[in-house]
Amino acid sequence: MNLLDGFGMDTITMAGSLDAKLSAMKQAGFSQVMLMARDLVGHPGGVPEAVKVIQASGLRPTGFQVLRDFEGLSGHLHSYKVDIAKSMLEMCAATGSKVLLACSSSSRHATDDLDHIARDLKKLAMLALPLGIKVAYEGLSWGRTVNEFTTSWDVVCRADCPNLGIGLDSFHIFAANTSLDAIEDLDPEKIFLVQLSDFMWNETPTFEERMTTARTFRVFPGEGVHSEDLADLVMRLDRIGYRGDYSFEVFNDDYQQLPLNTVAERAKKSATWLHNDVLHRSAPLPSWTRPHKA
Amino acid sequence: MNTNPLHREAVPETPNRLGVEGIEFIEYTTSHPQALGQVLENMGFRPVARHRSREVTLYRQGGMNLVVNANPEDARMSGAADGEPVISAVAFRVHDALKAHTRCIELGAWTVPSHAQAMELHIPAIHGPGSTRFYFVDRWKEFSIYDIDFKPIPTVDQHPKSIADMSYFGVVQYIGVGRSADWLAYFENIFDFTFISDDQRFGILPKGKLMKSPCGQFLWQLIEPEPWMDGDESPESLQRIGLGVADVGAAVKVLKAQGVEFVESSQLHPEDRGALTRGMLGSVSFELVHQTKSSA
Repeated sequence: MNLLDGFGMDTITMAGSLDAKLSAMKQAGFSQVMLMARDLVGHPGGVPEAVKVIQASGLRPTGFQVLRDFEGLSGHLHSYKVDIAKSMLEMCAATGSKVLLACSSSSRHATDDLDHIARDLKKLAMLALPLGIKVAYEGLSWGRTVNEFTTSWDVVCRADCPNLGIGLDSFHIFAANTSLDAIEDLDPEKIFLVQLSDFMWNETPTFEERMTTARTFRVFPGEGVHSEDLADLVMRLDRIGYRGDYSFEVFNDDYQQLPLNTVAERAKKSATWLHNDVLHRSAPLPSWTRPHKA
Repeated sequence: MNTNPLHREAVPETPNRLGVEGIEFIEYTTSHPQALGQVLENMGFRPVARHRSREVTLYRQGGMNLVVNANPEDARMSGAADGEPVISAVAFRVHDALKAHTRCIELGAWTVPSHAQAMELHIPAIHGPGSTRFYFVDRWKEFSIYDIDFKPIPTVDQHPKSIADMSYFGVVQYIGVGRSADWLAYFENIFDFTFISDDQRFGILPKGKLMKSPCGQFLWQLIEPEPWMDGDESPESLQRIGLGVADVGAAVKVLKAQGVEFVESSQLHPEDRGALTRGMLGSVSFELVHQTKSSA
């Protein structure tokens, strides 16, 4: 088993072209990539060329991001968002991504009725279903109604749809200070994506602080001040049986100014830390478990 | 006084919010309409009408309508290799086509833009699995959609009898690995289909998951690839039509006399419960299923 299997980078972490990002990830040894819609539409050759580049890279898409502010709207706002969702789903399918990331709404035009939110997410899941796409619903820590994974899980349970699950993001869990005990309540089969990152300070009490930190100063797992919590989170997920992908969603203004290979190497170091020191995946079985030689 | 014993435990009636009332037609798309026509005629279907503006032929036997679409653009879009025939659409009879379509869109189905020409019917449709479509037809009682969009072929009996009284029994859909739960949820949510437990089976090909339409008139079978077909990435599709028949043996006899070949192996061969025709023109096959009047 490749040491980096199960871990991937998000394209949002690096500057430069899609081609250069994929190449740097591959060179560092990663086998998957979390794609952003902007990577496709911003490609000089347009979406079809971007898709070719992704296919040629041999990297497996971890997922496709991000649909924002979809749920809880009504009337023409809802219709507008359905159109946006359909375009996102078409791009997601074109790249061969099996997971679309949908973030909880921060819109003040959206309702706080959890049943209404669940109904809209079920609709999104139905739109995604014929395309073979799963929807990972993630609670942003500044989401208006859904801002903790406990609530996003509640909504996903209410919607009760096989291709609708949750996406977890360590940043939002730590920023919102949600207790990790609630991880035990999750069904590992319904966690469709786990995004990992850390940051450099302990408190982010306001939505504004959370947003600024989230968008400019995240760091790779093992580089921030929540390493122990992050290790605890990953261990708990492992314990309940989560065997899906981990992707590094690291928005960082500094990393945007560094050579791509340097950033990819930092990601690799982080994956190695999680693999060896947190999950102990490569540790050999203790000697007493091996059969005696005759 | 409430005398209905079901009220006490709130046992729900099977909902049929789309007003589904059976299958109006099933459509094949191909760039070899003559070759498919021959296969269909062997199966007992007769060409009865042609579309006014497109290369589309209506076949019929008994209560079954089957449309062969050879429109070059549609044949290209159907995704079949070399224009081989594929099931490209199923049209459901519904109480109100516009209402049914609107409800589906509200629930998250993808609409299909209409290509109706002047004076032709706009038949609302949504996308199905792969490149297929589901149509909604509400004009099937007092007059039919074919009266408007099709011209009868002169001198041909417009209502040919069906062999051994065959009728549409169901549709078999091939799906991706691990997709049963998804598609069950889809048909349950959008169409009010109900799941049939695994111990209840019809015919000789009992694999996969089975559902019943809310009108109780047809079944829908979902089949995943076998585990050993590792990496089977073939697109999801509507694979074959099931034909219900009271006397399978009698139907097989007539069909064999007309040149239809059946799969005959030690595991799978015609028997009282059902029979499977050998695949023709790629993957065109029909499954006969024993059906008493009340089994579907």
